[in-house]
Amino acid sequence: MDNLFDKLMEDIRFEEGLNACMNCGVCTAICPAAEFYSYDPRKIVDIVQSRNNELIEDLLKSEQIWYCGECMSCKTRCPRGNAPGLIIMALRGLSQDLGYFTESEKGRQQLAIKRTIGESILNTGYCVYIDGISPEFHPEQGPTWEWVHENRVDLIERLGGNYKGDGPGILRKIPQETLDELKKIFEVTGGLERYEKIESYSKKKAAEMNLDFDEGIDNEYFSHIYKTNNGSHTR
Amino acid sequence: MGKHVVVIGAGVAGMEAAGRLSRNGLEVTLLEKESVAGGHINDWFRLFPDRRDSNEVREYLINLSSDPKIQLKTGASVDKLTRHGSSYLLTTDAGENINADAVVVATGFSLFRSSRKEEYGYGIYENVISSADLEKLFISGEIVISSGKAPQRIGIVHCVGSRDEKVGNLYCSKLCCVTAVKQAIEIKEHLPDSEVFCFYMDMRMGGALYEELYREAQEKWGVNFIRGKVSEASETIDGKIVVKVEDTLAGRPLKMDIDMLVLMAGMEMSEGGSKLAATSGLKTGENRFFASADHHFGSNISNLEGVFFAGTCIAPMNVTETISHARAAVTEVMEYFSNNNR
Ligand code: SF4
Ligand code: SF4
Ligand code: SF4
Repeated sequence: MDNLFDKLMEDIRFEEGLNACMNCGVCTAICPAAEFYSYDPRKIVDIVQSRNNELIEDLLKSEQIWYCGECMSCKTRCPRGNAPGLIIMALRGLSQDLGYFTESEKGRQQLAIKRTIGESILNTGYCVYIDGISPEFHPEQGPTWEWVHENRVDLIERLGGNYKGDGPGILRKIPQETLDELKKIFEVTGGLERYEKIESYSKKKAAEMNLDFDEGIDNEYFSHIYKTNNGSHTR
Repeated sequence: MGKHVVVIGAGVAGMEAAGRLSRNGLEVTLLEKESVAGGHINDWFRLFPDRRDSNEVREYLINLSSDPKIQLKTGASVDKLTRHGSSYLLTTDAGENINADAVVVATGFSLFRSSRKEEYGYGIYENVISSADLEKLFISGEIVISSGKAPQRIGIVHCVGSRDEKVGNLYCSKLCCVTAVKQAIEIKEHLPDSEVFCFYMDMRMGGALYEELYREAQEKWGVNFIRGKVSEASETIDGKIVVKVEDTLAGRPLKMDIDMLVLMAGMEMSEGGSKLAATSGLKTGENRFFASADHHFGSNISNLEGVFFAGTCIAPMNVTETISHARAAVTEVMEYFSNNNR
């Protein structure tokens, strides 16, 4: 089996993020995610620096590596110049490459992120565009959202936006040549390849879990990963 | 012999060196930038590990350095040090020129300026103070916070300005752990009903009787030790300090309300020492302290012949070590004179 530490070392973010950790806990104390989730960036750094292959594999399959908000507060404070946030990025990347992300609930949601935000970027030029924020999948938007969503064309016009229009303005249409450029960036940097990996590993997992798998958001597997919550993520 | 030695700095190291040099028959000029001799010890109430009154050590040093062969010049710092033949010419900030056959550099340390670690709020929140500020409260005999009341919950932050890449100090200042323990006990002596929390990364109790003091702090005084470095402090509307830290032994992030936060400021190369290094050609090392010729057997010896180091201008040291190091510097000076037979 591959040496996972060596694999991580191939990632520039990992090399940059890990010097030597003295387990001081400053990263965890400052981390906004650790305040909410059962999450301790210090422990993650300590595990990777142990170079223990089994423990690193467990980490790649765990819920933990998906809690980080990549805010980089930890980087600003670590007295040893480590950046737990960068280490997490490298762990996430490797977990996606190896397909380990499908072993955890939060990891499986990579597919949801890919199909919502990930595809929205390529199709609209926006990470999040109002069309994609459906009331069904976004109860956090509150009771008026259904109405807002339905009447978005009139509403945005009244608010001075430029919904899907040409030229400048809020929610304007992003020109095709810009979208082509974005797509090129995703192609060259390996983003698209990663998207494909997430799709194929997720498909495999869906079969394993006996859930229907299809494109888009209207299928059993997508609905399952989007909506289930084992209730043990938070402190 | 009639030789004349200039000692730069009249703190513990400088006073000890001056006293020992004069006992060996040498003429000494002792330069001190402040208006009185004594150095940092003047600002300290009691000393670890035995909590001895610092006045006793000061008196010992004053007695030792009160000798007709020693001329103490206060309010004088050295602007320049240049070699002239076999001797040195020192120019003070007042423009005075002094000749020396040998020089002992005893410029000591500066305490880390805690406001540089801005996430701890020193100089921003009134109830965040430094270890040196706390000594002043001990001297005044009254520990109070900005409201005029005695604090109920006191936090002590270890390693402020030490072991921290973010402030450019990779080294351990060596004395702040034991200072924290000493001060924690003293707080409990003054305020028996208070709760004291020490936030540490490692308890570095590597001196005679330090570990015993640590144990006493736990057993006799009930001081709480929490293993984690404080990430930041903030202030509530009623003047309390909120400390964020991970209890790394329990793996739990904490947010604690306390009344007073004491920062264990580390030791850095003194400003006077840095200035001297810049104008004299004396070498400094990685941690900006003066660099000795040899770490093991030449710690008093500098890169300039006839210039010797004494005390914390080369590295953090406690009072005992400083006195020993100053005596060793005197041995080097005597050997230098007898070898050169002049
Ligand atoms: S802040 Fe840095 S040294 Fe401290 S626990 Fe986190 S990674 Fe390790
Ligand atoms: S980057 Fe991640 S681990 Fe670091 S502070 Fe932000 S959420 Fe926490
Ligand atoms: S002596 Fe203790 S408080 Fe001071 S720098 Fe070393 S570990 Fe930190």
